[in-house]
Amino acid sequence: MSLTIALSKGKLLAGAEDLFRKAGMPFPASEGRRLVVPVDGLRFLLVKDMDVPTYVEHGVADCGIAGRDVLLEMEPDVYEPVDLGFGRCRLVVARPRGASAATGASTVRVATKYPRVASAHFLERGRSVEVVRLAGSVELAPGLGLADCIVDVVETGRTLEENGLEVVEDVAVSSARLIVNRASYHARREEMSGLVRALEKARTA
Amino acid sequence: MNGASHRLVQVPPGVQCFLGDEARRRRSIEERVVAVFEGWDYEEIIPPLFDYADVFASQALLPKTYSFVGRDGSLLALRPDFTSLLAKIAAGRLAGRPAPMRLYYSGEVLRYEPPRAGRQSELYQMGLEHLGGDPRAADAEVLAIAAECLDVLGVSGFVLALGHVGVFGGLLAGTPLETATLERLRERVEAKDPAGVREALPPGVVPAPVADALVRLTTLSGDAPVLADAERALAFCPPARAAVAELRQVAEALRAAGLGGRLAIDLGEVRGLDYYTGLVFRAYAPGLGFEVGGGGRYDTLLARYGRPMPAVGFMLGLDRLALLLDRQGARPASAAAPPEVVGGNGLGPGLQRAREMRAAGVRLRFEERS
Repeated sequence: MSLTIALSKGKLLAGAEDLFRKAGMPFPASEGRRLVVPVDGLRFLLVKDMDVPTYVEHGVADCGIAGRDVLLEMEPDVYEPVDLGFGRCRLVVARPRGASAATGASTVRVATKYPRVASAHFLERGRSVEVVRLAGSVELAPGLGLADCIVDVVETGRTLEENGLEVVEDVAVSSARLIVNRASYHARREEMSGLVRALEKARTA
Repeated sequence: MNGASHRLVQVPPGVQCFLGDEARRRRSIEERVVAVFEGWDYEEIIPPLFDYADVFASQALLPKTYSFVGRDGSLLALRPDFTSLLAKIAAGRLAGRPAPMRLYYSGEVLRYEPPRAGRQSELYQMGLEHLGGDPRAADAEVLAIAAECLDVLGVSGFVLALGHVGVFGGLLAGTPLETATLERLRERVEAKDPAGVREALPPGVVPAPVADALVRLTTLSGDAPVLADAERALAFCPPARAAVAELRQVAEALRAAGLGGRLAIDLGEVRGLDYYTGLVFRAYAPGLGFEVGGGGRYDTLLARYGRPMPAVGFMLGLDRLALLLDRQGARPASAAAPPEVVGGNGLGPGLQRAREMRAAGVRLRFEERS
């Protein structure tokens, strides 16, 4: 049986393709409609970024590529042997420019796609928090009065700027990680370590 | 309705109910595993479903424990694991029994688990504890029993991944680290995340060779040669080195006994339950994304109950074994042939007839009318 690899259809796909090509490994042709794509002895699953850890944790995929931001949020019980280096971004707290830290009194209202990360961040600092969970366009929330601030990923900071927000705190740095199912790692050791080595080499090449 | 917000047939999350082929498969798995335990001269203990909450030793299981206040005001808990209970029984009720003691159990444990891969609130565990005796011999014995159980069940391609908590513990012995930092490090080593280990190391506290060795643990897994790599990488740290020597002794015994093909060394396997002190292992097989069972050595747990004694044990999860065997395509234990129907004789004579047939061992269905 071939190894199954879960990839996110989102922004990490291009970086994953570069890396696989550099490693001389097969990769699905440009994004089609198929979500399960067999290519030259590997099987690829194309899923939503937040779902990659789930497929790998359950062993439906032997391994996958997920951003560290997603791993921090989902906390899957998987191995994370390689920092693949691409897809670098920061998870930050951002607030409307010029808003004072005291806004929102004792409880911080935060809009985010990362409810677990966001609430842990404030609770660990002794701040009460009310998380407003959104699926996208998080930057709109403070301007519309839905939240005092947001926790989200930023690459260049342009989107924040265009929505009148500024970064006030770093929560974590993120990049793409290779994640591996724990049982596949041990029970399919040869194939798995071959793949890990190939990707590691391609990354440093 | 007492204001209940659910329908009476609704099932609370985390509980399970089995019937038909599934129930038969589970019963058949249990019978075969228990027969292996009995075959190695382990004695069954049927412990209570609840006990005083402080009997349960694992801090890690504490937040997952269903506890409640008894009528006399004492804090009680539904058993979240068996090992603490068997240790208590060995130190109390069996205090006069000489070591080594070989005990086994088969039953449910209850844990509050958030829903995720392979976890339910009600888990059925079959396991054994080897209390006292020669530690290395006991380690090798329980691993051989675990392998026999999986063989007997027809699990294909399984691997026992062996680690030792003394490697991680030995490396950080004497380094002043906050508990949260230590747990973060342990978790990142367990995740085989070298970048994460580096990040979790507080600057300037952990000596460079120790830091490098911790990062190295994330890649020290695989076949026997890993042990030689580990011995070199940990040469500077006698306690960690001693832990690897223990692993080597056990691994070599198992290899000599013909189990070499079933072993993997995994020095990143450092987490386990918090009362583990030595060898730890998990059993993996293709088809299931998580371990089907595991165990380890807990040499300090018995002292808690007043009878210090080294010990080692393991358990297999019945729920996970059933899922694994299903995924590996094992045929379910088939239903028996249709029963003989007893009917048309009148109630009294019919019942008499049925009793005679039952005495002769016939499987029947009683279909008389009054």
